[in-house]
Amino acid sequence: MSETLKLTDEEIVEKVRSNDRDLYAVIIERYKNKLLRYAANLVYDNDKASHIVQDSLVKAYINLNGFNTKKKFSSWIYRIVHNEAMNAVKKSKKEVPILDDFDFESEQDITKEFEQKETAIHVEKCLKSIPLIYSEPLSLYYLDEKSYEEISDILRIPMGTVAIRMSRAKKLMKHICQKN
Amino acid sequence: MSKELKNIADNIMDQIHEEKIKMRPKAYFIAGSILTFVGLVSSVVVSVFLVGLIRFSLRTHGPMASYRFDQILSSFPWWAPVLAIVGLVVGIWLLRKYDFSFKVNFKIVIIGFILAVIVGGWFIDSVGLNDVLIRRGPMQGMMRQYMQDNNIQGGQGGGQRWDKNFEK
Repeated sequence: MSETLKLTDEEIVEKVRSNDRDLYAVIIERYKNKLLRYAANLVYDNDKASHIVQDSLVKAYINLNGFNTKKKFSSWIYRIVHNEAMNAVKKSKKEVPILDDFDFESEQDITKEFEQKETAIHVEKCLKSIPLIYSEPLSLYYLDEKSYEEISDILRIPMGTVAIRMSRAKKLMKHICQKN
Repeated sequence: MSKELKNIADNIMDQIHEEKIKMRPKAYFIAGSILTFVGLVSSVVVSVFLVGLIRFSLRTHGPMASYRFDQILSSFPWWAPVLAIVGLVVGIWLLRKYDFSFKVNFKIVIIGFILAVIVGGWFIDSVGLNDVLIRRGPMQGMMRQYMQDNNIQGGQGGGQRWDKNFEK
């Protein structure tokens, strides 16, 4: 078992595909917590989030042969959760409206504050009050520790767009969250 | 929450063991990729061909365009631009399915795709590839019907020809 734990996600996927189905449990163990938090940040509902994660992991298993092992499994599974969560959001229409003409101020203070771990809970709370298109990359970057490239792969947007959304998200966080 | 998480793992593994969920075979994904590629190529070919046909149709009516405007309206193959647009839309939709597509600005991809189809249509019309298509290509039935309906003669001989010599 300890040997298995040393394997990369992609190596485990190869083994699952070549008939070692039980190893899929390792993948589930590795990702369920992260995915649940990610989904909960998108749908703001723990029950829905756990359904989304379960459906996504089932979908991932069914389509495992379609995954290219030269790419990152984590981006692939996050993408599936993203799609499932977006379908759920569309169904419930709970998404916060996008504020295009927001009055932005300096982002200096919030960036500094953001990097301090003790503010994580406050930040998570604040994430819920900004539009999803901005909160999602922010949560992937700071909470799930994804790189810009991985965020680009998960959200299927160019890296430049990721950077723009991140910058706007920080400004929104400052504007909304510093009030609270 | 932790109970739910435990359930997630157990539920999924139970479904796998009971074979309620099964992996789709590799062939399914290979077939999907091939069909997507074939669909994309077909939509490009059809669009290019129809753009060539539209250009040809406009040209066959010769000079004095205003005098012949009614003629153009009555004999113009209106289905061609409609099909060309459908081909383009399908092509763009299929293009979006490719991995690289989100990494580049999609507006540029769409503009590039449309320009390529228009330039391709213009090119095959200019070099006379249309004539080859009339005689041998898969579209020959469609083209012959259009030419018969509008009293246009292809290839050698009199009447209007679908090649660059007609312009001379």
